[in-house]
Amino acid sequence: MTGQSHGTMSPVRVAIFMVLLAAMISICYVVSGQLFKFAAMVITAFAAGDPVAPAAGPAQTADMMNRLIPVYNGLAIILTIALVMLAVKWYINTRAEERSTFLKKMFLYEALVVGVVVVLFPFFWMLCTSFKPSGQELIINKANPFDIVPSEPTLMNFKKVLKIDEASIAQASQDPIEQKKNFGTYFLNSLLVATTAAFLVTLFASMGAYVFSKKELPYKQQIFMLLLATMMIPGMMFMVPQFFMVCQMGFFGTKWAMFLPHLASVFGIFMLKQFMDTIPNSLLEAAQIDGASEWQVFRVVIIPLAFPIILTLFLLTFLFHWSNFLWQLIVTNFENPLSITLPVGLALFRGQYTSELGLIMSASCFSIVPIAVLFLFAQRYFIEGMTQGAVKE
Amino acid sequence: MAIKSSKETAASAAFLAPFMLLFVVFLIFPIFYSFYLSFFGSPTDYSLTNLEFVGLQNYKKIFTDFQFWWSLMVTAFYGVIAIPSGIAASLALAMLLHNKLFGKSFFRSAFFLPNVLDMLVVGVIWTLIYAPKFGALAQITTFFFSEDNFFNTTGLLGHPLTALPAVVLAMVLKGAGFGMVLFLAALQNIPETVYEAADIDGANEWQKFWKITVPLLQPIIVFMCITGVIGALNAFTEIYAMTSGGPQQVVMGETVGSTSVAGYYLYKQFESGNYGYAAAISYMLLIITLGITWLQQRIAERKAPGGAK
Repeated sequence: MTGQSHGTMSPVRVAIFMVLLAAMISICYVVSGQLFKFAAMVITAFAAGDPVAPAAGPAQTADMMNRLIPVYNGLAIILTIALVMLAVKWYINTRAEERSTFLKKMFLYEALVVGVVVVLFPFFWMLCTSFKPSGQELIINKANPFDIVPSEPTLMNFKKVLKIDEASIAQASQDPIEQKKNFGTYFLNSLLVATTAAFLVTLFASMGAYVFSKKELPYKQQIFMLLLATMMIPGMMFMVPQFFMVCQMGFFGTKWAMFLPHLASVFGIFMLKQFMDTIPNSLLEAAQIDGASEWQVFRVVIIPLAFPIILTLFLLTFLFHWSNFLWQLIVTNFENPLSITLPVGLALFRGQYTSELGLIMSASCFSIVPIAVLFLFAQRYFIEGMTQGAVKE
Repeated sequence: MAIKSSKETAASAAFLAPFMLLFVVFLIFPIFYSFYLSFFGSPTDYSLTNLEFVGLQNYKKIFTDFQFWWSLMVTAFYGVIAIPSGIAASLALAMLLHNKLFGKSFFRSAFFLPNVLDMLVVGVIWTLIYAPKFGALAQITTFFFSEDNFFNTTGLLGHPLTALPAVVLAMVLKGAGFGMVLFLAALQNIPETVYEAADIDGANEWQKFWKITVPLLQPIIVFMCITGVIGALNAFTEIYAMTSGGPQQVVMGETVGSTSVAGYYLYKQFESGNYGYAAAISYMLLIITLGITWLQQRIAERKAPGGAK
């Protein structure tokens, strides 16, 4: 048995294994080292409390980070060694004729991890930079160019974009409007706009889809075709006339203006109708025989059965309004901080602090982190909902 | 019977009414309103009510406006590099993931994640990565090469030739996970027996990829081309965030923005108060979009019987 499995030693294959092993060591050590350091950094930044004077912050956290070096470096080294031992053990235990498959797998994993690093690097860099003290945003640690996690983390950037640092608070009594222009306000505005819009869109779209799927109406098919035809029109087309209409209705600069023209979601009707077509009519008839009114049939039978797809539409609409930058930009009244949403606020902010990387990055976190967390919990709905239309074809 | 049916109609109408009201007011009416507005010029007093009637002037202006035709060319260029590289990146990721792997769903989600994040914010982050002097790329290249390298002095976004590809790279990395999920679903539907038959015929991996996998993935590729064209025509946020239409360059005696795509040019006209002209441009864009979609469908129809073989 053993004789067979160690029978042929191909030097080429061993060389490839060595190269892959070396790549694995460097990838694993750098990636896990940075991740562990990042965790240590976040804990330090929050544990260091509330250093009021900006100068006191970094020095204090730098000391704590120094003491944590053995912990995060040690963890990375242990993980790397464990992985190397596992890889070698697996390689030896694999039968000679299956070793090329094993090497292929190893290469696959390495390529995938590198791919993930490339795709997610901008966001990791954003998180790291947002904890860096002002003036130290330089990515390069001269001793180790792969080390981008700050060694002297501070929460100052977040305090500044929330305008709860000393200087802003001192100014607040003189200029309360200016103080209101912070990313906490923008975040709440975006949350309110996106949630309201998503709720109304899903409500109206599910009511409409119910009619198209289950009920009788003269010219139903023709109306549905008309709806689908408007999906071909690029969104840019509507910018000018919708802007005029919203202004003439007197909504300019209000939160209503942010989503009102986008409440009629043809995509939503289409998606919900596709799903409702699969609900058997007998269920509706049974409810009607039991004496349910039209609204009760809709509420008690349709909504619960179509709930997964309704939730999907809710999340996708929320996302659309969270990132609906162009429209929100043109209907924003910049004098009124209550009408500024996150993307518009960031565009405005970036104009003021062009090269303050730490500030811009911590402002970006307010848009990215909540959505990333939401995605973590509801990824199935996002992925299936967004790709559904395409797969149908 | 007639009473029941009219009752049914009334209920249906009531259910559909809120949606249809919004639909007619905000999606149907604007199509005509936009046409009406396209016969007007700029406001005479910065209000929206006193627009100057100019007749067909706006449409005449479009045909002589070099900036507009240039922006269409930039849009075409954007599509020509973004669509193939987007398809290639998505397909590469899908081929990597289309294996029996531990943690497959983790990789799938990780690649998909940038898709759900706000385009403007992603654009801003990439701008800072590309930025000369203090950006990530500038600092990495300075560390490994001299301070005098291209990434540190001009930056990718600072040169007319590299600005658009740099924007495309950022958008491809953001969007690759979407195409990847589509390709993965399609790859799973290809029966294993097709490849086994090819093995018997002595086909190598390269031949199997080009002769079996790619033709069977054609519907997804066509879909990605269509969405890519619409994406290029609607491109605005990424340009606004990353280049503001610049850097400027001189083409045929006119100063034009080297990344000023049609959507961005439309916004610029709107921002400067040329509302009527902006409406006329959006009509032109509508005609172009419908034309391209029609053409693509014709090509897809003609190709379909051959591709299915």
